[in-house]
Amino acid sequence: MRRRPGIGGLQTAAAARDQYKKLGENVAKTRTDMMREQLSTFRSQLEDFARKHKNDIRKNPAFRSQFHEMCAKVGVDPLASNKGFWAELLGIGDFYYELGVQIVDICLATRPLNGGLINLQELCQLLRQRRKSDRGVVSEDDCLRAISKLKVLGSGFEVISVGKKKLVRSVPTELNKDHNEILELAQGQGFVTVDEVERRLSWTSGRAIDALDTLLDEGLAMIDDGHKDGKRRYWFPCVSPISSLTGIDSL
Amino acid sequence: MQKLGEFKLPHFFNYPPYFTLQPVRDTREKQIQLWKELILDYCKIQKLFVIALEEEFPLFTNTVTERSLTNEAREAFLSALVSEGRAEWMDKGHRKCLILWHRIQDWADILLQFAKDNGLEDGVVTIEEIRFGTESQGTELHGIDRTILNRALKLLEQKGKLVVFKGTSTDDEGIKFSV
Repeated sequence: MRRRPGIGGLQTAAAARDQYKKLGENVAKTRTDMMREQLSTFRSQLEDFARKHKNDIRKNPAFRSQFHEMCAKVGVDPLASNKGFWAELLGIGDFYYELGVQIVDICLATRPLNGGLINLQELCQLLRQRRKSDRGVVSEDDCLRAISKLKVLGSGFEVISVGKKKLVRSVPTELNKDHNEILELAQGQGFVTVDEVERRLSWTSGRAIDALDTLLDEGLAMIDDGHKDGKRRYWFPCVSPISSLTGIDSL
Repeated sequence: MQKLGEFKLPHFFNYPPYFTLQPVRDTREKQIQLWKELILDYCKIQKLFVIALEEEFPLFTNTVTERSLTNEAREAFLSALVSEGRAEWMDKGHRKCLILWHRIQDWADILLQFAKDNGLEDGVVTIEEIRFGTESQGTELHGIDRTILNRALKLLEQKGKLVVFKGTSTDDEGIKFSV
């Protein structure tokens, strides 16, 4: 645009600015409209997809997990309510509800053995054993989703990370940092000794014994005085591999 | 799964802490329950009737994990069985324990069934035959502990289901059924 001197020039420049502004706003509006439209298209395509692949979603955990991710991206939560389009379409609400009930069951049944803290892997394995022939495989991702729904019940169900593992807590017992560190240490061999805790974590004897006794009282640890070296060992069922625990067969 | 002879051991048997009597009540209760079941199952399968605490009892030691139940633990588990009526101390010192993997009443029922199965409703049979005879082979009666058998017989005698009579020696002791 040619620049013109004087008031005229200024008015032109202002008008030009206004026009640019309007253009900009239009572009913005168009972009938003486009996005809205795209989103809406995406949503309905997602619904079509869900309808078409209902069975796959039900049966295949990897597929199911990816489907959840897709939904999350568009702001759809198939589990948000047990009624409504998604739940009815997929019956997925029921699936997770049922899973939740079974998880609660298993946690209650194993509580006397592990104090209310169970390895996620072990939980899933027990879940699979219990469901056996039931409509498809259950993944750890499924367990986590079901548990997150359980949290809504305020039942004290929570997934905590200890080292590389995930543990599912089904009792109100709060684990503080000291307890967590001991659990992480115990992951190595399934047990710790007071010496080891003092040495590896650089704690005083008092602090180590305090923490271990609490874990013992909560039923999360068991003592073992039978080793020939005479040192007391504190074992943690929740970090031990499945094969060392009982009750599996009867679940 | 680890085995003791042909007997399949439960998973907890390989978890060392179960061989130490647990101090925390809830944990100890669970531990005792597991051991009680194991002891009863083992004795039933192996047809053992008496456990002597000071003697070597294969169930009380795990050679793989190198753990052994202390005397205190052994007594605790057996006492729990006694409390439940599934065992009896044979001496005041609690050194020998009679294991009732079948209760006395159950043994009485088994005896009656044995009588019916062998057409002995009005018949006579010796103690020896019941314990070691051909008819009892393959049944749970075969090899039954003398003390337990006597108790079962006494129970049935009180109910009028049989009469025990002595022979010329203990081996001749017999029973006349009146089922």
